[in-house]
Amino acid sequence: MTIKEQRLHEALQHYYGFRTFRPGQLEIIQRVLAGRSVLGLLSTGSGKSVTYQLPAQLLPGITLVVSPLISLMVDQVQRLRMRGKFSAVYLNSSLEPAETRRLLSEVEQGRYKLVYISPEKLQQPNIQQLLARRGVSLVAVDEAHCISQWGHDFRTDYLRLPEIVQKLGNPPVLAVTATATEEVQREIARLFHIHQEDIVSQSLNRGNIAYDIIAVTDEAEKREKIIEAVAKLHGPGIVYCRTRQAVEQFVATCQLAGLDKVEGYHGGMSAMDRVLIQEQFLRDELSVIVATNAFGMGIDKPNIRYVLHYHFPGSIEEYTQEVGRIGRDGQPGYAALYFAIEDLAIHQHLSQAEYPEPAVIELFVASLRAKTGLKLAYPEIAAGLDLPETQTELLLFYAEQAGLIARSDRPPYGVQVNSGFPADAANRIGQRIERARQAKRTKLTQMVNWLQQKGCYRQALAAYFGSTDDLGYDLYCCSSCGLQRIDYEQDVSRLTAALPETNWNLHEALRMLLPVELYNRGGHHH
Amino acid sequence: MSNPILHEREFMKTLLLNGLLPLEKQRTVQSLYYILRGRKGNQTVQDVYLFRLHPYYRLFPKFSREYWEEIIASLKAQRLLQLEADDRAKTKPTFLLTAAGKQFLREGVEQYQLDNWLEPIRRVAANEQLQSQWLKLHLLVQTVSQLLHRDIAFYPVVQQRSIQQWVKEQLGVPSERERWMNELVGELELLLQAFPERLQQLVVRQFSGAGQTGSTLPQLARQWQEPPSFLWVKLLHCLAVMAERIQAEQGENFPLLHRLFTADQRTSRQLSDSAAHTWRLLRQNLSIAEIARQRRLSPNTVEDHLVEIALLYPDWDISPYISDREQREIQTLSSRLQTRRLRLLKNHLQDKYSYLQIRLALARQKGAVYDD
Ligand SMILES: [Zn+2]
Repeated sequence: MTIKEQRLHEALQHYYGFRTFRPGQLEIIQRVLAGRSVLGLLSTGSGKSVTYQLPAQLLPGITLVVSPLISLMVDQVQRLRMRGKFSAVYLNSSLEPAETRRLLSEVEQGRYKLVYISPEKLQQPNIQQLLARRGVSLVAVDEAHCISQWGHDFRTDYLRLPEIVQKLGNPPVLAVTATATEEVQREIARLFHIHQEDIVSQSLNRGNIAYDIIAVTDEAEKREKIIEAVAKLHGPGIVYCRTRQAVEQFVATCQLAGLDKVEGYHGGMSAMDRVLIQEQFLRDELSVIVATNAFGMGIDKPNIRYVLHYHFPGSIEEYTQEVGRIGRDGQPGYAALYFAIEDLAIHQHLSQAEYPEPAVIELFVASLRAKTGLKLAYPEIAAGLDLPETQTELLLFYAEQAGLIARSDRPPYGVQVNSGFPADAANRIGQRIERARQAKRTKLTQMVNWLQQKGCYRQALAAYFGSTDDLGYDLYCCSSCGLQRIDYEQDVSRLTAALPETNWNLHEALRMLLPVELYNRGGHHH
Repeated sequence: MSNPILHEREFMKTLLLNGLLPLEKQRTVQSLYYILRGRKGNQTVQDVYLFRLHPYYRLFPKFSREYWEEIIASLKAQRLLQLEADDRAKTKPTFLLTAAGKQFLREGVEQYQLDNWLEPIRRVAANEQLQSQWLKLHLLVQTVSQLLHRDIAFYPVVQQRSIQQWVKEQLGVPSERERWMNELVGELELLLQAFPERLQQLVVRQFSGAGQTGSTLPQLARQWQEPPSFLWVKLLHCLAVMAERIQAEQGENFPLLHRLFTADQRTSRQLSDSAAHTWRLLRQNLSIAEIARQRRLSPNTVEDHLVEIALLYPDWDISPYISDREQREIQTLSSRLQTRRLRLLKNHLQDKYSYLQIRLALARQKGAVYDD
């Protein structure tokens, strides 16, 4: 071990309490510290965040972390603060303007080493200038596949990132992702000027996960089979559904079946309920979460033993992300997907709700045209069209891209409708939306192809991501190669251990929570 | 085991019919939806005042459209509610509670003791504020619990920065922190003692802290076999009662919690930001047209602001827009016809008045709700 490597190990020990790096981490960190731009391909659960958080502590300036998901950002910063050794902050649209101003001035004073920022915040010239003045040592781009038009999760504001990196004085870029096909990898490398030899790819194969694909013919059979699996499997586990209704129905079914430590989680719940359920799960007070894909981003729970898919996801990338939450502690885990081709209808339905029809686009553009020159409050823009929120968002996004409107980032956050619309504005927006819809459909087809192929599922996954050299596994490979579910099972008792209804005593309940006497007694000894 | 989802629907039907009753023949069914979600638009704010629907305003800020449609559809299917076909196709249809609907409502109100639960919420008339006070209390209890357990590494249950900031300010000064740590438990106990056991549990078991992750409302609802939405109403009821008591006894018994429950008196009677801007310009004697031009808003939007101002500031003189005598004419007609529907009134008055004039007059009408 060189002296430099030894220093890095010491730093790892100091900040995280780990003695050794996971595969790929050290290589990435060394390159980044040498000032090179790097593309890191690390499977989910292999500690992507260490590769930028640790350099952040060692580099002189700010490490900027661009992340597309507000909840993920909030979560990571919250947990870093819990650990108490990192000075981290996040900047995104969830903050109030006054708060943003205060935090920015703190960033300017150099209070933070790690600054998490959403791509749209980073578009603001004043923020770019402030960061450039303060000095950025590294730009980490999380979920870097979002920059690719071919990716499953393309985000237009990611496309402007290379230009912004230039404005920040060309610091090195660390692009990280867990899901990128070869095509997407090439595109990321091209856009961020990353050399071929600086693509650090740790095998995306998860040897401790066994893949079980189970064909079912109808909803009743499916529900019955999953209930049985949940009752038998060794938890903790996650059941993924595509819709909120499915989550709620399945949870209700579980509870009627007497499985008490099962709870639902989806975006329709209040923020506080979501935190509470997540905490209960992290503390092993719950053993199963039934969730939409809103659950799991950024959660750090190493002992998840299984993931069941009630519906198949919309892309192979999403699938690997979701099952990737299994067994981050390296212990064997079980991924089962209950496949009914009828579930395609759900994807169709979701896609219809997501993308507006051409007629709706026409109406939208016409209603904008009628408001030329006006400044409108956000809800007034699409008022009268009665569109789902996601469609409104999408239309506004493309309208902004086409220069029809401009958003102000100062209160009262209005939208300015520009004058001089091109005649074919609706058409142009329609084409952009159609392209996005097509890309998504292709991803879905590839997902179904994977499910319907009869060969080894692990091998087919590896082929999809373009790296078939590692196909190793621990316990079982997949249902094509043969597996025994019983090896992932336990006895049922753990799921039904409901809390006994004890006698209520307000005084005692409050003192458990707020043990002031205990504290004061303890206080004398300190 | 009885079906909890079914329970929930039954409760919601009563709750919604109760909110719809004053709007009957006056507004569309949807208008209650906007009230429940706490829409900040002028029309919604005005409806809340006019029909005294304060307990309903922002009662469920995240109420989903699907759930709403589902309940309304089932009310219609059961013939408890019916849409009123309008002779003039241009206005959106209003609705009626059928005789069966009224009967259903009477029984539901009785069964759930709905008036009891809603009354304090009605008096306090500030759901948004109660909800943010609840979040503050929640986070405060969690933080103080962690401090008392000497374990300050924890994941805050409340994510809103403004709430976190508030708690941070409260606990920032060491001497103040000591006070909260020593006295919060006593104040809470005194405050909660007054409630029946179930309600005590409803509040305390939701708290998180060291060694205890709070239960969510749906979890408690399931354990007690009660509709989750009903528990939510009960929680708001508790908070309203707490707020009232703390304000009455304030410095006396609840010096600490008093800070929390009076934190922001204004919000209940606050103009929307945009209306406040218009209000400033109005006081500089700008006309509606001038304000619209300067703010690049449509005159209709500015008129909405005027109505909002008329409702929230009873002292504001509207006579430059409509004389006292004219106001009375409109108000009398509205009472006689038992309606607040603008188009109808405008027709009856042979287009003598503009919509703005009629709306201003109605905003100033006393005893805004009709009983039938
Ligand atoms: Zn295999």
